[in-house]
Amino acid sequence: MGLWQRLVRWARVKSPWILHFNSGACNACDIEVLAALCPRFDVERLGMLLKGSPRHADVLVCTGPVTRQVARRLRRIYAQIPAPRFVLAVGTCAASGGVFRGCYNVLGGVDEAIPVDMYVPGCPPRPDAIIHGAAQLLAALARSGESAAGQPYAGTARGAAGGGATAPGGRAPAGDGQPAGDSEGRVAP
Amino acid sequence: MGGADWTAVLRELFRVLVFPGFAFLLLLALAGEWLDRKAYARYQHRMGPPWFQPAADLIKLLAKEDLVPRLASRAVFTFLPVLALAAVACAYVYLPVAGGRAVYAFPGDLLVVAYLLTLPAILFFLAGWFSGSPYGAVGGVRAATQLLGYEVPLLLAVLAPAVVAGSWSISEVSRTLAGRPELLPLQVIGLVVALLALQGKLERVPFDIPEAETEVVAGTFTEYSGGRLALFRLAIGAELVVGLTLISNLYLGGHAAWGPVPGLVVYLFKLAVLVLILAAVRAAAARLRIEQMVTFCWRVLVPAALLQLFVVVALRGWWLL
Ligand code: SF4
Repeated sequence: MGLWQRLVRWARVKSPWILHFNSGACNACDIEVLAALCPRFDVERLGMLLKGSPRHADVLVCTGPVTRQVARRLRRIYAQIPAPRFVLAVGTCAASGGVFRGCYNVLGGVDEAIPVDMYVPGCPPRPDAIIHGAAQLLAALARSGESAAGQPYAGTARGAAGGGATAPGGRAPAGDGQPAGDSEGRVAP
Repeated sequence: MGGADWTAVLRELFRVLVFPGFAFLLLLALAGEWLDRKAYARYQHRMGPPWFQPAADLIKLLAKEDLVPRLASRAVFTFLPVLALAAVACAYVYLPVAGGRAVYAFPGDLLVVAYLLTLPAILFFLAGWFSGSPYGAVGGVRAATQLLGYEVPLLLAVLAPAVVAGSWSISEVSRTLAGRPELLPLQVIGLVVALLALQGKLERVPFDIPEAETEVVAGTFTEYSGGRLALFRLAIGAELVVGLTLISNLYLGGHAAWGPVPGLVVYLFKLAVLVLILAAVRAAAARLRIEQMVTFCWRVLVPAALLQLFVVVALRGWWLL
């Protein structure tokens, strides 16, 4: 591994900017995520910043089961995040659908819609558990250098979203061979 | 061309590109961003980010996928961040850093620097407008509206030290005021006005209306990602350093050596104090609405700057010079 790759991996581990998305949670998980972002826990120590725009984010923090209504939006927001991107599923619902599993309007866990890198169980998980999950995600990233869920934005996510993520001009890991440009108005640089 | 000329050219290039020019400015921009974030965290009783945080953010952004929205104009989208950084870096060349001398100085460079520091705000407006996103457009319009608020008080405030020193050259003003430190306390109002206007120029709390993430996602920069976003962040960090260097030259008596303390240390010390003050403003205040911001600028900052100007003109006429 070259020096630049090592430097980039180090920078990715040290500077995860997060985007918080509620895909249908009962709101308890969201409040715990916000509590984790409070000065008391000070996640900026780990370089984490909450960002408003998906274009700036690295980690999508997703709470709650994925409802059928929100699934398309979730896939679109995932597609709007520039590669490499990671997903942290927070809460039992995000892992499996939880108490909402089997509801007529619920698709299931977050991994039914987009690839997930790390799960944080709990209903809701405590803020320290969420931070621990994020730290585990970063540790896995530091070991492998790649998203645990695999970079190719495919599988369940692809068909319904009407096109996958952009092929990021040779900078993506092998396997990401989607056609450039998709329904979200993205083009590779 | 003889050998001596070549050394002169190389020395000039070194001064523009390395120290105290471009590379030094980038280093200071990263350090300034860190100090700002660290101080902000300490004011909130947090630990704050480690010292390498801005560098890690920069490298990560450079290595990330860089997207151009289909509706955005590709050339403009690429060109604007570069231009913003270039404008700010140009301004730095006219500011005395360590010791009393800028790399280049001519009578009137004060106005050139003021103009170059206005450019980023206009570029932010264009960046938002051409990014093909409604959030970007709204953020851009807000940035342009805000410009009407802080620009006039800042120019008026910068005028006062120039009147005292009777010169339009920053190096000249800085040297004159360093020679007569008893004049500095007379410019406190101007200093406060300039710091608040700079806070607005840098779009920091309480004037971060163009980037208000609760209203317009990330405003101007909503569609920017990867390397282009990294350049914009670098430009803003550099603008912080350049703006504060200007203020410390005009109001704090420049950066000549204090006895055994070298000028560079004096400069870094004054810069750090000003960053701490701006971070305190950021930590203590909440975001204003756009019309509150413009009203505040015109009803409070402009009269204060005019008062400062009046004091200075009166003193110059009757008492000292
Ligand atoms: S895991 Fe529990 S707290 Fe979280 S969204 Fe589901 S039901 Fe609510």
